[in-house]
Order: sequence, then structure tokens, then C-alpha cells
Amino acid sequence: MAPVSLEKLTKVYPNGFEAVHEFDLEVADGEFMILVGPSGCGKTTAMRMVAGLEEITSGTLRINGEIMNDVSPRDRDIAMVFQNYALYPHMTVGENIGFALKMKHTPKSEIEKKVRETTEILGLTEWIDLKPGQLSGGQRQRVAMGRAIVREPKVFLMDEPLSNLDAKLRVQMRAEVARIQRRLGVATIYVTHDQVEAMTMGDRVAVMRAGLVLQCDKPQTIYDHPLNLFVAGFMGSPSMNLFEARLGEGATTLFLGTQKVELPPTVLSAKPALGRFANAEVVVGIRPESLAVAGTATGERTEDLVFFEGDVDLVEALGSEILVHFSTDAHRVEAEGMYSDDAEGLDAGSITQRGEGVARVSPETQLVIGEHVRLQVNPKRLFFFDPVTGLALNG
Amino acid sequence: MRLFNRIWSRTFSYIILLAFTAFFVVPVIWLLFAPFKTDHNLVFENPFALGTLGNLFHAAHVMFTFEDYALLNWLKNSAIYSFGGIAIALICSIPAGYGLAHTQFIGRRTLLGVTLFVMIMPATALVLPLFLEANAVHAVGTPLAVILPFSFFPFGVYLAYIFYSSSVPKDLLAAARIDGCNEWDVFRRIALPLARPIIALVTFFAFVANWNNFFLPFVMLPNSSNYPLPIGLQDLLSATPAFNPGQGGQVPIYRPELAIATIVAMAPVMIVFLFAQRSLVSGLLAGATKE
Repeated sequence: MAPVSLEKLTKVYPNGFEAVHEFDLEVADGEFMILVGPSGCGKTTAMRMVAGLEEITSGTLRINGEIMNDVSPRDRDIAMVFQNYALYPHMTVGENIGFALKMKHTPKSEIEKKVRETTEILGLTEWIDLKPGQLSGGQRQRVAMGRAIVREPKVFLMDEPLSNLDAKLRVQMRAEVARIQRRLGVATIYVTHDQVEAMTMGDRVAVMRAGLVLQCDKPQTIYDHPLNLFVAGFMGSPSMNLFEARLGEGATTLFLGTQKVELPPTVLSAKPALGRFANAEVVVGIRPESLAVAGTATGERTEDLVFFEGDVDLVEALGSEILVHFSTDAHRVEAEGMYSDDAEGLDAGSITQRGEGVARVSPETQLVIGEHVRLQVNPKRLFFFDPVTGLALNG
Repeated sequence: MRLFNRIWSRTFSYIILLAFTAFFVVPVIWLLFAPFKTDHNLVFENPFALGTLGNLFHAAHVMFTFEDYALLNWLKNSAIYSFGGIAIALICSIPAGYGLAHTQFIGRRTLLGVTLFVMIMPATALVLPLFLEANAVHAVGTPLAVILPFSFFPFGVYLAYIFYSSSVPKDLLAAARIDGCNEWDVFRRIALPLARPIIALVTFFAFVANWNNFFLPFVMLPNSSNYPLPIGLQDLLSATPAFNPGQGGQVPIYRPELAIATIVAMAPVMIVFLFAQRSLVSGLLAGATKE
């Protein structure tokens, strides 16, 4: 039995706005489930419904098999870490952490013991008598975690707890949060808009947009096999390069702007759905790390690669790699559309610009701005999408 | 040229400031010096002359013992009415402001609008209907006829509403609910302790309004033993031949004694303000910046 089960959970506000649409999700015991998506996609609303802070319009929420739709937040045996920590400013660190135990009428000696243990786990012992206003952002974040941990709940809910930290601290705390969750083995739902957190922390990731779950799977699976244009463009940093293209006769050639790219037969055999798009428009996706400057030794045979050309607009040297911003004469696609099971009105909603892309190449690569460059990619690493529905052409 | 302009503008600012300071402070200084002089000295000599301690003690003795310690009785009545009104006002306005800010109920916006509307109504306009109400329940002449209207303080409700809606994040209250609080615990353990600055602010404004209120007690209290300080002083003035030549008899109350009575009336407000200054500033600034 999954600790958390969401069955067709829906939230419609009084003004008619549907923030979450038939949200199905199961979170197993000890699982770290990430809800990721852009601002306004409904991930926080979904979490707040689990917490009991938002009324559920329809659908069923179960925690440990029991229906929780009308149960008050304090009776759901959950703990939540808020984006802005929500620490009680008039209480000390120790009082903040022990507050929930106090409300449960836990004996004072036991509260002190548990608070001491929790502060030791989180490295907060030194600050136990200070108030939140006297702490740094990272310390406050740990106090918020401590407040959740000490309760030993059935479910952890975390609403973008790292978003208020600076970049360096965020990287550090990411690892710490994941470590603590693994140690405690409590089912966790973690909301973030940061796809790096989604990729690195979760056991599974649910990518959301406009109230819908577009794909829910392991992070690497989502990365390697995105089901639609939005997931493909959202996951990955830099994001996937998406271009308007046209497949030729028999889907053996790809026209990228004015450039003709010959596709080996293995592409069609791996993705037979492409056959339906012969002589039709498609969207082709290429991950930045799949691109290399032609002639670069990548361990692959030249005959297995395809090539196209572009002009270098910008070179960003990051030390361990170089990001090459280039432009081609193919039109770039920005995935903005909404995916729905309903076939009517499907529209990838793409906005096209001049074909700008990004390639992630080795730090030894020598390129200058304005240089005309030939890029290579293994066609096995090309992604294809239906330009109308946005669905991936995988099968 | 720029230096000249700067010096000139600064000098001009100081002149204006000194003029306003003189306008407000000089009468107070005169008042503080007045009990140290005789009535004759006050009229014919330098208004800022120091006087003597002997004059002070004499004036104080006369004033405080006048009519069987009437001044102390008025002081006591003012304290009872003011603090009684403040206590009820706080008990009502802080939870009301919290409710308006953080709960959803039918008519919430209307109630807020009504609060604002009543807040801007002149208090004097309400005295007659209040008198009729108090008369209907036979409360006229009793302390309750003053304390209950004093406790009606929509400005306090509005201040609390502004404070709670801008300075107490909803997530803080949500965290308390998740931690096991029912709605009363959320208010008592989280919202109320955070409201110290606003409690100080409401207390101060209510105190000043109640302490200085003349018209309502004047209408509600026919019996002089129930008078608060403003009514008592006014009564003192009208009954004293030194200030009201139409009155007959010998009453030993002159300007120095009246100055003492005025200082006694002013002192509590000044003391409360001095002690509450820090809380007043933090209460006024609460919610000004996002934390």
C-alpha cells in the first residue's frame, strides 16, 4: 500500500480556474518523488492539497490507505518544509523544532531529547537558543528541516525549500536533503521548478504543466525518452535544441532549413512512427552534449554520424566544458503548448525564431565568434516530435 | 555657488524648524514654569522666569486638596475609563483584525468596508445615539456608559488587519496548522505573540483618544464624582471666579494651580508615549518591508 495515493485529484478555484486536472500519483514508502514544472503549473497546489491546506474539488487522496480529503492538516501525520521556511520568529530554534511535539502533549523530557538528537543530526546544536532572525539562510533551512524530521511523520512535503538559498549553498543543501531523506526512509513529495534538483534528487519525477502531469518516471528515463516537446525542452540544462524540419521521401532525409541531412535506415527502424511523417513537417531535438565540432574524436565512426552547419554566435568557456551558441537557417521551436489526451485543439503552440542552438563541447575546442562551423551528431541521439500534438515519435 | 546654495538651504531649513519648535514648545515651557510662580508673577513678569519651589508646593497643595482631593478623583476616573476601554478594545480589535486578514467568511469585504467607514465618521456624531442607547439600558451616569463606547475602536481593528495581512505570512499560520494547532491555537500561540508591536500601537492610540475625550463623558456623566480629568478641569474653570468673573465666592484656584492640573492631565500621555516609543515605531513600520 502506497503511503500517498492521489486519484484524479482536481482543484478548481471559485473563479473557474482549474489549477490541477485529474492528478494521479502514487508515492511508495521511502520514495523521493519530485514534482517539477514551470511557475503556475499546479505543483504547489497539488502538494497543498496533500497537506490539507487547499480544499480538494474532486478526486481522492489517501495516506496509508485512509481517505484524507476532509481530514484537517494536523491529523494527517505529515510534515512540511515551506519555501520561505515559515519558522516561528518569536521562538528559539529549539522551540521551533519542538513545537509540534508540544502540541501533541509529548512529555517535556522526551521533547528535549528528540530536539537534541535532531539538532545534532543537522548540526544546529550551537544555535539552539537563537531565534530565526539571528540565523543565516542555510541555518534557517536546516531548522525547517529539523521541525519536519522531529515529528517522524508518514510523509514529508517540501515546497521549493532550496529556492531562497544562494547557488553554492543550494548545491550543498541538495545533497544534504537527499542524504537525510534516504536516512529516514520517509515517503517524500518535493516540489521544485529547478530541473537540476529534479534530475539529481528524485527517485521519480513528475513533470507538470498547466495542471497536468505530462510524464512521470525515473529522472534518467525522462531525460533519455521524453514523451513530448515540453518535457524534452524543460529537462536538461542547457535545454534541448529544437528545430523545425521536414522529413523527405521514406523518412531517409531530413531538411533542416536549406540543409539536407541523410538519415541512415537505422533511424526509421528504431522509430517506425517517422514513416507517417514522410514529406511532412516534424520537430527535431538534439541535446547540446550530443553535438560536437566535426572531426572531433568522440569514439564514434564518421560513417555513423550526420552533419549540419551553423555560425558561431557566442562561446562560453566554463572551465570543464565550452558552450557554443550557434545559429542555423532552420527555425528554432520553443515548446509552449499544452499536452492533452483530447485530440481536439492540439497545438504544440511553438513560437519560432531564427535557429539558435547550443552545443556542449570539450574545453580544448578552439572556436571564435562568427566562425562557420560544421557540427556532427549521431542520428541515434536525434529526437523527433509531432509539430501539432507535441508528442514524441518514439514508436 | 553650489556651496552657497547648500548653506543657504540648510540655514533656511533650520529657521523653519526653529519657528515650528518655538510654536509648539514655548507654551509647554511656559506651562512647566507656571506652578513655580504666583498668579501675579505669571501676568506681569517675565514668562520664562524660574519662580520658587515654595510657590510650587503651595499651588500643588491647594490644587490636590481642592474639594476633597477632587483632582485625584478625576485622575482615578480617567484611568478607569481609559484603561477599561483599552482592555476591551484590545480584546475585540486584535482578534477582529486577525479574522479579517486571515479567514474567509461571507461578508468579509463588507465588514471591512463598514469598519473603514465607521472609522472616518466623527466620534462626536455618535455621542447622541450612544446616549440614547445608554439611557435605554439605564447606564447613563455609570462608568459603563463611558467605558463601553471607549472600547469601540474601529481604527484598532483596521491597524490589526493591516498588520496581520502584511506582516504575518499565511505560510506561517499554515505551518502551525500542520504542526498540530487548531484555529484557536494558531491565533493564541502564533498570531498573538507576533502582534506585540501592534498591541502597543493600538494601546497608545486608544489611550490618547480615551484620555482626552471630552464630549462623550460630558454627556454620559451628570454626577461630578464620576468626572474624568477633562470634564473636571472644565468644571473647575467655569466654577472659579478667577477665570469666570460671573461666579461669586472665594475659590483659591488661580493660574498656577490650573497649570498643575493641566500638567497632571498631560503627564500620563507623555509618560506612555516615552515608554512606548520603540514599540510605536516598530508597530508603525511593521510590514513596511518584506522579510
